[in-house]
Amino acid sequence: MIASTLPDKIVPKSLDALRETLERCDREGLKVSVEGGKTLSGMGPVLPRADVALITTALSAILAHEYHDLTCSAQSGVRVAQLNAALGEHGQFIPIDVPLRKKATIGGSLAAGWPGPRRHMYGRARDFVIGSQVALADGTLANAGGMVVKNVSGYDMSKLYIGSFGTLAVFTQLNFKTLPLPKKRRAMIAPLPEATRARAIERIASLVVPPAAAFCVEGFGKNVDGADDIDGRVLLYFEGTEELLERATLDTRSALGKAGVPETTIVDTGAAESLDRTIDACIANKRGRSITYRLFGSPGTAQERAERMRDACNRHELFTDVLFDVMNGDVFVRASERDASHFGAKIEACHADLRELEPRCTIVACDSVARASFEAWGAVPPAIEKMRAMKARFDPHGTLNPGRFIGGI
Amino acid sequence: MLKQRLIDALGADAVKTEPEDLAVYAFDAYSQGVVPAAVVLPANTREVAAAVKIAKDCGEPIVARGAGTGLCGGAAPARGGVVFSFARMNRVLEVDVRNRRARVQPGLINLDLSKHVAASGLFYAPDPSSQKVSTIGGNIGTNAGGPHCLSYGTTVNHILELEIVDENGDVTTTSVDDIGYDLTGLLVGSEGTLAIVCSAWVRLLRQPETVRVWLAAFDDINAASAAVTGIIGAGIIPTALEMLDRVMLPPIEAAFHAGYPTDAAAVLLIESAGFEDEMNLHENEIRRVMKENGATTWRAAKSQAERDALWAGRKGALGATGRLAPNYYIQDVVVPRTKLPQALKAVEDACAPQGIIAGNVFHAGDGNLHPLLLYDRGDPKQVAAVIEAGNEILKAAVDLGGTISGEHGIGSEKRDTLRRIFSTDDLATMSRVREVFDPRRSLNPEKIFPAGVGCAEVA
Ligand SMILES: Cc1cc2nc3c(=O)[nH]c(=O)nc-3n(C[C@H](O)[C@H](O)[C@@H](O)COP(=O)(O)OP(=O)(O)OC[C@H]3O[C@@H](n4cnc5c(N)ncnc54)[C@H](O)[C@@H]3O)c2cc1C
Ligand SMILES: Cc1cc2nc3c(=O)[nH]c(=O)nc-3n(C[C@H](O)[C@H](O)[C@H](O)COP(=O)(O)OP(=O)(O)OC[C@H]3O[C@@H](n4cnc5c(N)ncnc54)[C@H](O)[C@@H]3O)c2cc1C
Repeated sequence: MIASTLPDKIVPKSLDALRETLERCDREGLKVSVEGGKTLSGMGPVLPRADVALITTALSAILAHEYHDLTCSAQSGVRVAQLNAALGEHGQFIPIDVPLRKKATIGGSLAAGWPGPRRHMYGRARDFVIGSQVALADGTLANAGGMVVKNVSGYDMSKLYIGSFGTLAVFTQLNFKTLPLPKKRRAMIAPLPEATRARAIERIASLVVPPAAAFCVEGFGKNVDGADDIDGRVLLYFEGTEELLERATLDTRSALGKAGVPETTIVDTGAAESLDRTIDACIANKRGRSITYRLFGSPGTAQERAERMRDACNRHELFTDVLFDVMNGDVFVRASERDASHFGAKIEACHADLRELEPRCTIVACDSVARASFEAWGAVPPAIEKMRAMKARFDPHGTLNPGRFIGGI
Repeated sequence: MLKQRLIDALGADAVKTEPEDLAVYAFDAYSQGVVPAAVVLPANTREVAAAVKIAKDCGEPIVARGAGTGLCGGAAPARGGVVFSFARMNRVLEVDVRNRRARVQPGLINLDLSKHVAASGLFYAPDPSSQKVSTIGGNIGTNAGGPHCLSYGTTVNHILELEIVDENGDVTTTSVDDIGYDLTGLLVGSEGTLAIVCSAWVRLLRQPETVRVWLAAFDDINAASAAVTGIIGAGIIPTALEMLDRVMLPPIEAAFHAGYPTDAAAVLLIESAGFEDEMNLHENEIRRVMKENGATTWRAAKSQAERDALWAGRKGALGATGRLAPNYYIQDVVVPRTKLPQALKAVEDACAPQGIIAGNVFHAGDGNLHPLLLYDRGDPKQVAAVIEAGNEILKAAVDLGGTISGEHGIGSEKRDTLRRIFSTDDLATMSRVREVFDPRRSLNPEKIFPAGVGCAEVA
């Protein structure tokens, strides 16, 4: 066999170049790290071995926007913000909520398949994918779905690749259905003392006009809008027509008032950016001295789970920032320390405690050094054996992101 | 031996083996398959698992069956075997009102779920026209759609967690919130070829505050198609947007007295569900688009009774075809919504020269056509013509950038047609999933995959 002369970073400029790289790596036993915008590189374990970084960002063409059909198609290296800006020219968008969206690629976003805070309203990112093209580990191209909004022609293979963190195949192209942009956006921000919190959350969850996204936040300083005092705050984001937002505002004010929340600030200009900042905060990292966990669960238990995790971090004398998604139940807890040199020892004990408390919590942001010794994903799901078999069948040589995902898949 | 072991495990009244009892299980609403060796009616997941193990030991294929209303041969056994009927697993197990979800058994009838949770102000959104009889298990099997899926999404968007029994008889669960591969999303729509669904957590939605239903009639079906494109293109996504054509209006009106004009070329049935505050705005915009596209009649349903009547006609449409011909063959194709005029013309072109009358009642907002080809099964010439016309329609849909099934599935009917939209590599990739779940191909064999796909690799 000829010794490999592949550089350790490859940025294919064409589909063929990408296929050839994969084909060769697979044949020569080289391990490939698949990379988009790398905005999520603080999630999951550090790859045990990567010989070649395959970077998709030069596959950056928007292939079609059939705006009368409300569909579009783009190469996987297109940035989320770039795609939404193009769709916006015809008053449309795809509701994927990603941190650092100017950098994040659509391929990386769907490979992460992270369900965002607006999913109770619009559905999950996966619900917007109507077709895809992937390159398999050996470079073979495979298509799934198409350019129509309804399709039950065989297995929906896109679903398998979405959320697989690049361990089964590399997205090269994604087709989406789009939505008309909401006419107006509004953010409402209010302080949320712990004593009123449970009541306020209950009322938000039963608002007749629900917010598109709603977070309850303690800490995070200026990363998240609103005053960062000990009371915490609630941030509500509404989308819709002027008429609907007027009603939502009245209803929300009255609901929060009844729950004992004193005053609510309205932000109209910059509401979308405010939501972006909150989403960015979910994975905001303090270099070398913080770790952020995410825990899924039902909305009804979010507050309780968040407080339990917070209290555990506090017991280890770590600073904690807590944020939870009122509508969907996702909890984020960031534990940090002022001094990086103390962080290591404290977090080790804290991590063990958190895992005992919530075996399924996942590390979503942390520097590689700090997390190297931690199991990043948490307890394996019941169907892990099927997942292992899937990985073995799709990537028999363990070429794609080996060891990147849960249970070592 | 098969029979005795099944009886020992499930009890005599849960096992059918008499030929006269078995015959009906050879059919679904599309086709006749092979009469199974036995039918089991398990009462719980444990019994499903036990029966799967026995079938496996005896080398019998396994076919899961809901109500048998499928329209692609999905539940009709291709090789006999053991049919699993979920008629006794038909309950709502749990309702979690705070988190808007319910755990249900696969044999639960779709409409019964919405009835069950109505008092809590909730409903289950996927609403196939067969919802009075078809089951949640069958709906999961086919990823069923329905008129209201235009805005609410199809079945897959409403399934949160599945409890499954695999081909070995092992029980496991998958959840959309699991970290790991999205097996839930993959299992929905897999037509009983990957695993048997034994229970599901499904998403419930809050009943809308206001619902309005409108009817617009047109002299020309192309104008109706243009109006559909006009609405979607204007950035309005109604909750439902259905079309009924000249052929279908008179028999439906005669059967249901729904209030449809019987002399129009096409009618659009439009529903918008949401908030009172926005309704007038929606209504005005939709009416404007309809008028601009030449609607001759515009009517708003004034009461719940009028809304129900308009929907009863649409949902009962297939039954009303009995007034036109002894039999119908329903096609199911999807095209990009802007291609509706060309697609409807292709249907006409495929049918008229053969002397077949085709009616259309379909999910226009999704571009999902359901041409109904009317014929007499007793006449072999008509049967041949219908098959030929059906193929022409599939071909036309693919040529227009569309697909060969929007909601009914592939089953046995469209196995070979799958090659029209997928390459050998695409199909081989799909087949890897089958190999992981069901390497021996004992779960609903000879469905979805064209003959030959994957076999070479396995052998
Ligand atoms: C609060 C919050 C909400 C979010 N909401 C959503 C949402 O609604 N919808 C959504 O989709 N995402 C959402 N995300 C997450 C989002 O998926 C990621 O953050 C994503 O944007 C990373 O993109 P990237 O290009 O930087 O990927 P990278 O960091 O480069 O890669 C991420 C992973 O994907 C793999 N990968 C990258 N490119 C490809 C490719 N072309 N093919 C296969 N694998 C690849 C990588 O190997 C890696 O495992 C959310 C995140 C947060 C924190
Ligand atoms: C009048 C009429 C109107 C219709 N309207 C619509 C419509 O609007 N939209 C639509 O999508 N379809 C429609 N259909 C088609 C049909 O009703 C749907 O495909 C429905 O989902 C089938 O449900 P079923 O319970 O009858 O399942 P079956 O026909 O018994 O089975 C369907 C498939 O699901 C599999 N399956 C069943 N139970 C399970 C289980 N527990 N685990 C795993 N797999 C299982 C079967 O093996 C089979 O492949 C209509 C049919 C008729 C006759």
